[in-house]
Amino acid sequence: MATTALKATARRLLAGGVCLAAAGLVAAPALAQSITVVREVDSDRYDPHRSTARAASEVLFMVADTLVSLDYDMQTVKPGLAERWEVSDDGKTYTFHLKDGVKFCDGKKMTAADVVYSLKRWIDPATKSPVAWRAGEVEDIVAVDDRTVEYRLKAPFSELLYQLTQSFAVVIDQATVEKLGGDFGVKGFNGTGPYCWVEWRPRNDLKLARNPDYNWGPPIYENTGPAQVEEIVWKIVPEENTRMAAVATGQSEITQYVPYSTLNTLRANPQLLVSQSDAAFWTYFAGFKIDREMVSEEAVRQAMVLAVDQDAIAENLYFGEVEPAHSYISQAALDWDKDLDDKLIRTDVEKAGKLLDEAGWKMESDGFRYKNGKKLSPVAYSFAGSTWQKLMEAMQGDLRKVGVDLDIQAFDATIAWGKMATQEFDVFGMSYPYISAGDALNLYFRSANTPTPNRMNWKDPETDELLDRGKAALDPETRAQAYGKVLEKVHQAAVWIPLYHEPMKLVQTKKLAPVKPHNIYGCGLYKGLDIKFQ
Amino acid sequence: MNATIEDVPQRRSAFRRLFRDGAALLALAVLAVIVAAALLAPWLAPHDPFATTRQPLLPPVWNEAGQWAFPFGTDGQGRDILSRLLYGSRLTLLMGLLSVAIGGGIGMVVGMLSAFYRRIDPFIMRVVDVLLSFPAILLGLAVAAIFGTGVTAIIIALAIATIPDVARVTRSAAVVVMGQDFMEAGRAIGLSDATLIRRYLALNCISSVFVFLTLRFGQVILIGAALSFLGLGAKPPSAELGMMAAQGRDFLFFAPHVATIPSLTIFLIVLCANMVGDALRDVLDPRLRR
Amino acid sequence: MAQHVLYRLLLAVPVLFGVLLLGFLLLQLVPGDPATVIAGPMAPPAVIEEIRRELGLDKPVIVQFFLYLVRVLQGDLGHSLISNTSVIEELAAAVGPTVELMVACLVWSVPLGIAMGTVAAVRQGGLLDRVIMAFSVAGVSMPIFFIGLLLMQYFGFVWQLLPFIGRGGPLWSIDGLRHIVLPAVSLGLIFIGPVARMTRTAVLEVLRADHVRTARAKGLREKTVVLKHALRNALIPVVTLVGLQAGYLLGGAVVTESIYSWPGVGRLAVGAILSSDFPLAQGAIMVLALAFIIINLIVDVLYAVLDPRVQRS
Repeated sequence: MATTALKATARRLLAGGVCLAAAGLVAAPALAQSITVVREVDSDRYDPHRSTARAASEVLFMVADTLVSLDYDMQTVKPGLAERWEVSDDGKTYTFHLKDGVKFCDGKKMTAADVVYSLKRWIDPATKSPVAWRAGEVEDIVAVDDRTVEYRLKAPFSELLYQLTQSFAVVIDQATVEKLGGDFGVKGFNGTGPYCWVEWRPRNDLKLARNPDYNWGPPIYENTGPAQVEEIVWKIVPEENTRMAAVATGQSEITQYVPYSTLNTLRANPQLLVSQSDAAFWTYFAGFKIDREMVSEEAVRQAMVLAVDQDAIAENLYFGEVEPAHSYISQAALDWDKDLDDKLIRTDVEKAGKLLDEAGWKMESDGFRYKNGKKLSPVAYSFAGSTWQKLMEAMQGDLRKVGVDLDIQAFDATIAWGKMATQEFDVFGMSYPYISAGDALNLYFRSANTPTPNRMNWKDPETDELLDRGKAALDPETRAQAYGKVLEKVHQAAVWIPLYHEPMKLVQTKKLAPVKPHNIYGCGLYKGLDIKFQ
Repeated sequence: MNATIEDVPQRRSAFRRLFRDGAALLALAVLAVIVAAALLAPWLAPHDPFATTRQPLLPPVWNEAGQWAFPFGTDGQGRDILSRLLYGSRLTLLMGLLSVAIGGGIGMVVGMLSAFYRRIDPFIMRVVDVLLSFPAILLGLAVAAIFGTGVTAIIIALAIATIPDVARVTRSAAVVVMGQDFMEAGRAIGLSDATLIRRYLALNCISSVFVFLTLRFGQVILIGAALSFLGLGAKPPSAELGMMAAQGRDFLFFAPHVATIPSLTIFLIVLCANMVGDALRDVLDPRLRR
Repeated sequence: MAQHVLYRLLLAVPVLFGVLLLGFLLLQLVPGDPATVIAGPMAPPAVIEEIRRELGLDKPVIVQFFLYLVRVLQGDLGHSLISNTSVIEELAAAVGPTVELMVACLVWSVPLGIAMGTVAAVRQGGLLDRVIMAFSVAGVSMPIFFIGLLLMQYFGFVWQLLPFIGRGGPLWSIDGLRHIVLPAVSLGLIFIGPVARMTRTAVLEVLRADHVRTARAKGLREKTVVLKHALRNALIPVVTLVGLQAGYLLGGAVVTESIYSWPGVGRLAVGAILSSDFPLAQGAIMVLALAFIIINLIVDVLYAVLDPRVQRS
């Protein structure tokens, strides 16, 4: 809790001060132990079960821990709060053995009961968590003893461990949740993370102080605790340019939120270091609502995919800093089907025109295509704001070249989600983070997930069956095979126009030791255990 | 006393004096050039102001890397800044003009009615006092919050903000006119109220109002541009000077021209408008000095 | 004079009412159903119904307005749609920084403006007068965001002299002081112009007044005349006129806060409007309006007290 963390910090600072004074150093290096991370948007709150924003996860990974952690390769599951675990032969029971000596920020000991409480709160219908499905079909979660948790599923769920690495599965303190009620994750927080919650001023900043007792960090870090800086301040700066300048002038020590256009300038700055994670697991795409008349023909959709020049978009809009996407998930993601590598649709304007001709959409004198007197003018719903505005306009330009008149309608984020839950558009723009093929496919292509997030209305019994098979697979091969088949189906049907995979790029001052970017849920700093001054 | 006869030579000498004020004259000329350029934007603009090119952030020609094809360089999406500037000035000037005209028109009518019908005067002036309590920027925020952001919202807000001031100025001018003999005379020969207001009152108040509105024009443009800069005004991809400056802010530190050129244009327009307004006031209506 | 003060006080009542009505309208005219907006996209119908009842949205508009008045007078401005924090709390946290910024701006720009105006008046028609007046006109014509961006670029980025992101802490700390310099200077620069102008006019008027002529005739030195007799008398209208520019200052503050990520009410209002956070936008606009009214009221009364010539029929 906030006050406890403060007290703990104060104690440490005091102790440190005494030592330093004894050593004859009267300066206050403690001040230099604070780092500021600038970012674009704030979260609506920091309740792990109610917040799905990346902004929330960034902080949650730091203030709380998960049972298992994810390695930098985004494929290997490593210990977290659980030092080891076993999976039963039928794949339905996971037994987690917890580390000893783990304490919450307020000093209370963490036990199996806390894990059970947190996970059950996640799936409790009363919590109304939009991400409860990520926990699988739970039969029960029980504390066998103080340090053992049994996670029992109704059906095997091959994704489970990956899902449990996400910020939705962090362990929180029941007493704090109940005491704060609606203010949990707003006025206070109590977790077991390397940093403790101090204070949040919405849309301004969020302060975290390090947890001095922390020594149970995941083994993916060299330093498993405690954290090596006293304080982390997450500061909201909506303007791209100001964020860039903040890092360049040392007002922010590290951030992943700098505009692509400035990365080259920053790389040339001798005081700064730009690093990148090879795993780009955040994909931008435009989806088709495939049962709408305008885009119901596969040929039309394929032609539109062929027309969009992802390489040019990546080069012109993003200064070559993003990875142009021809696949729906990163080709480096777990369970990506390598056989598809050669079958992906690449930009080919000529072929696009031919496909449309064959489908009966004839080019008229105004440069657009018509069929039975109807103009090929699909309605695209998009988020307002510079990123999507630019993307949609670029697509619009590409599509115009083959005679398609994309009708862009942009909405403010608060309204856009509602608008995109309707059936009134042909194309929609979206981006999302994922950890694996299964994660992405189960979310977007299940018939049960219409109208959202399956906004394409992709309803295919075979897909559902394959997804079930992949989900319930007991061995990686079966799982990869099932998901591979789904990937093949949806790519063939051209239900999305993949646009680009967003890489994780961190810009930091060289005063800090190099921080290795992680890409879990797009949160580059992950647990922040390797952040330290040189 | 017949005011119209008296007025003519006085006004003529006023204009002569105005023409002797070199700085004001220069300002007027610059303003005229800008207005003409804005009006002729479709013919003058070398490029489509909305067409993106593959050359984003090209510097202006006075920079080594500049190209004559894009005299003022290109913005973040490779659009020609000069063309956007021409179209942008158009929208910005239109925004200022419309809000001043609408607000000025309504304000003048309110002010004249207030002076003409003394019975409703106290009531109207109280309403005006209340309206004066809302600064333009606040009205802008409120209107944007209610009707959503956009140029129309800004024009509404700026027009509303202009009404009370104009009403006051008109009223004080009109009260003086009301005391003149010709008003009595007009009434005596049976002219209707409407005719009296239109023919005599309006004609004699218009110069005060005009001077005031000229002075106001610059302020209105500044506030409008500020609201656009904050994202509450014109929406992309349309071009408006304040919004262009806001977009340029994304590249301020390594391509400052994207923000500076539209900002300087606003400065130039407002500066000229203010100088012309000042000069006009000095010669036409010294009473407004305070 | 008492009558004038009374009038201003009475006038504040309908203005206040107007502000409240504005706040109410802001909530009423939310696109779509306010209850749905407040409940959030995932709320089941029963919850929406409950909120509707809670807010009295099922009652006639007049009753709703009355209920709203009662709520506001109890200090309940609702909750932010986005962070779910109480609007009053968010506003309370933002008022301090805004006041800080305004004070930091006035503290240097008003004295400087007065000094410049006085010099211009004394040297009326001379070169110095022209330079100062040109500076003043330029200042009034400059978009505030342009000044802000320029200062930020050079002093913050190129020369790296001062920080330009947010507030550094309380004003008495070094970090706090360093952070406020650029915003306060930006805001002040647009304020010097009008102050210098008004001072010049006021001093000129006083210099022509009888008692100054008498002082001059007595053979007092020009410096004494200007400082002791003219400026002192001119200051009364100037100081009050400065107050009347509150709206101008407010507009500048909104933009300045937004440029320098200053956590004040203006930035809060703009952010809330842009993210369609209606309760917060409503609250922030009402606080800004209220501040403006209070400043105006104080200035009006002050003006009446200081300048006995002001009479109200």
